[in-house]
Amino acid sequence: MKRSTPRWLRVAAVSLAVGSLVVACSGRSTTGGSGSGGEVTLTINFWGDFGLQDLKAKYEAEHTNVKIALNSGEYNAQHEDLQKKLIAGSGAPDIAAIDEGFIVQFRSQADKFVNLLDSGAGKYESNYLPWKWKQSLSADGATQIGLGTDVGGLAMCYRTDLFEAAGLPTERDQVSALWPTWDDFLAVGQQYVAKTNKKFVDNATNLFNPILGQQQVGFYDEGEQLRMDGGPKVAFDFAVKAADAGLSANLTSFQADWDKGFTNGSFAVLACPAWMLGHIQNTAPGTKGKWDIAAVPGGGGNWGGSFLTIPKQGKNVDEAYKFLEWLIQPEQQIEIFKTVGNLPSQPGLYADPAIADFKNEFFNSAPVGQIFPKMAEGLTPQYLGRKNGPTRVAVENVINRVQNGTLKSDAAWAEAIKEADKANK
Amino acid sequence: MPTTRAAPEPGTRRRPPTGRSTTWRDRLHRFDVRYVPYLLIAPFFLLFFVFGLFPMIFNGVVALRHWRLDEPDRTGWAGVENFRRLFTDGDFGNALYNTFGIFLLSTVPQLLLALIIASMLNRRLRAQTWWRVSALLPYITPITASTLVFNVFFARDLGMANWALGLLGIGTENPIDWRADKLHSWIAIATMVNWKWIGYNALLYLAAMQSIPRDVYEASALDGAGPWRQLWRITVPMIRPVVIFTVVLSTIGGLQLFTEPMLFDLNAQAATGGAGGEWQTVAQLIYKVGWKDLNLGYAAAMSWALFLIILVVAALNTLLTNRISGGRK
Repeated sequence: MKRSTPRWLRVAAVSLAVGSLVVACSGRSTTGGSGSGGEVTLTINFWGDFGLQDLKAKYEAEHTNVKIALNSGEYNAQHEDLQKKLIAGSGAPDIAAIDEGFIVQFRSQADKFVNLLDSGAGKYESNYLPWKWKQSLSADGATQIGLGTDVGGLAMCYRTDLFEAAGLPTERDQVSALWPTWDDFLAVGQQYVAKTNKKFVDNATNLFNPILGQQQVGFYDEGEQLRMDGGPKVAFDFAVKAADAGLSANLTSFQADWDKGFTNGSFAVLACPAWMLGHIQNTAPGTKGKWDIAAVPGGGGNWGGSFLTIPKQGKNVDEAYKFLEWLIQPEQQIEIFKTVGNLPSQPGLYADPAIADFKNEFFNSAPVGQIFPKMAEGLTPQYLGRKNGPTRVAVENVINRVQNGTLKSDAAWAEAIKEADKANK
Repeated sequence: MPTTRAAPEPGTRRRPPTGRSTTWRDRLHRFDVRYVPYLLIAPFFLLFFVFGLFPMIFNGVVALRHWRLDEPDRTGWAGVENFRRLFTDGDFGNALYNTFGIFLLSTVPQLLLALIIASMLNRRLRAQTWWRVSALLPYITPITASTLVFNVFFARDLGMANWALGLLGIGTENPIDWRADKLHSWIAIATMVNWKWIGYNALLYLAAMQSIPRDVYEASALDGAGPWRQLWRITVPMIRPVVIFTVVLSTIGGLQLFTEPMLFDLNAQAATGGAGGEWQTVAQLIYKVGWKDLNLGYAAAMSWALFLIILVVAALNTLLTNRISGGRK
């Protein structure tokens, strides 16, 4: 047993290795904390396009100690993930976007979010549409969990080139006059399909959602009772009727085939709330100028719109609020509107010429600064229950089954009720 | 005593153990012999306890409780309520049906084809290594990447599968919607599974086949047995342990199928397995109930049910395979 190295050398080597491991581990934990003067990374979870890309760079340039990490994900997944992290007590982002479809679920857990009233957000209350402010307010009115970003509103985006080929008018007022009601819309669609042998709308679920948004009561009433026989039935029946009439291209929203459909002209019309504009621009840049925006059949309504919240578990809640406060200032809100089309939920801005006179070139210079604000101001929003999100997914799936032919349309409504009940459990 | 070994007497060098340092060395030696082996295998057991045994036991505890992340107030002991609910849950029944359907469509052709390919690779071929390596290529392809490619392959409107079928005159008017009904979606998913695992199983069979002596084949050839008869009468019985091993492994894998059905969905995180659960497997349902419906107690009960089902099916398959391939028991 000959030893090639003296023992002291080996002992030293081992302790050096162990020591450096310890240092390496503890090194991570010290920099992860929130040094008040040190560098801070704020993560923001959202879906789609919130128009934050340019603003992030701007904010980082002004605040050299702050880095902002944008994390865009799938719509439902982001909400489910946030719920898990809130219960787990860690892992939530510094700022989490929440859609109005999920806001009731989260505001009933208001103790898990920073009360923005404590942070001094109360002074912005009068800037907001009153219903928007209330949507994210806890039931007792004591805790404000989020600040509104955008409202959806409702309009119809259509392809002028495809309309022209089908012998339909292309001018936006004439198109609006084509379909004062949804039944008129159906008739126009049938005419289009007969003439071109192509599909008219992207998906029957994207007729269901806006029509549901136009009803007085959605899936749930204010007592959290599932009310399928009211608004949902109206919207569902029409969606099935449109599917039966062969209007739908049956492309699942926000999936690859749907995105391809924008470029390929697989459909000529889709319901577009303000936030949809950004998606169309991003997915089909080649169709610039071929789109225009007309009124939605059946009058006003709302579909979507979001809030930004600060989960309490975050280590940088103060920096997060500073960024959030900066983000809701008029300058930034107008910037977002111009880049991605999301309409601010602060009506004071609608009169600002930057919005009022804004025409979107991508949509054939449609006066989006007039179309959407008009809708948002006259809105009486419906109550969206705690289980609104899962219920909507379940009913959409039933409509999808009708569209792909695996479910007979006369059996569909019973199935929709069954699935909605299951989602409500 | 020869002079060449005139080294000093060993006894004179090894003094009797006195003093502290020798005792310490002795202890060290004893420690080395007695305990170090345990220390050396400890990391595995530690990891197994932390990541294997503990989650299983904890999962069993959770299965007996109400635990909902979306309604934190609904908590407490549930007894066997979660398990009882399984028997009346249409979703679970549907998922079980799908899982077995896809399992049959994948495992049976997969192992048969692997056997045939292995026996072909076992002959003298040109570029033998090249053939063997390319049989294994699907196995080393990341499953996510291959599934995404298959997704495009099985697209309804512009997919290659429909294009190829169209050349044969199938579905030219009305292209097959691979995600609309059970049979087509099962076939699509089984294809992905087969593609990945045929080569892997074939190589396992091949390794076993190479240990079969050549003269057995020569003798049978003299007796007039053709290649097919040789395969079933000689090869399969002689590689029986490996056949059983692959059957058990593919039973476990098939019943836990998750990634392929998950990514086959157009909305890859929906976990519903199609609009009407056409191809939702049990593993997918567990994920959906646990992490999307946020009902952890019920999902845990489902996991235990799946575990028991796999045990039973794997045991049955072992018996069956043993009998088919000529075992005595």
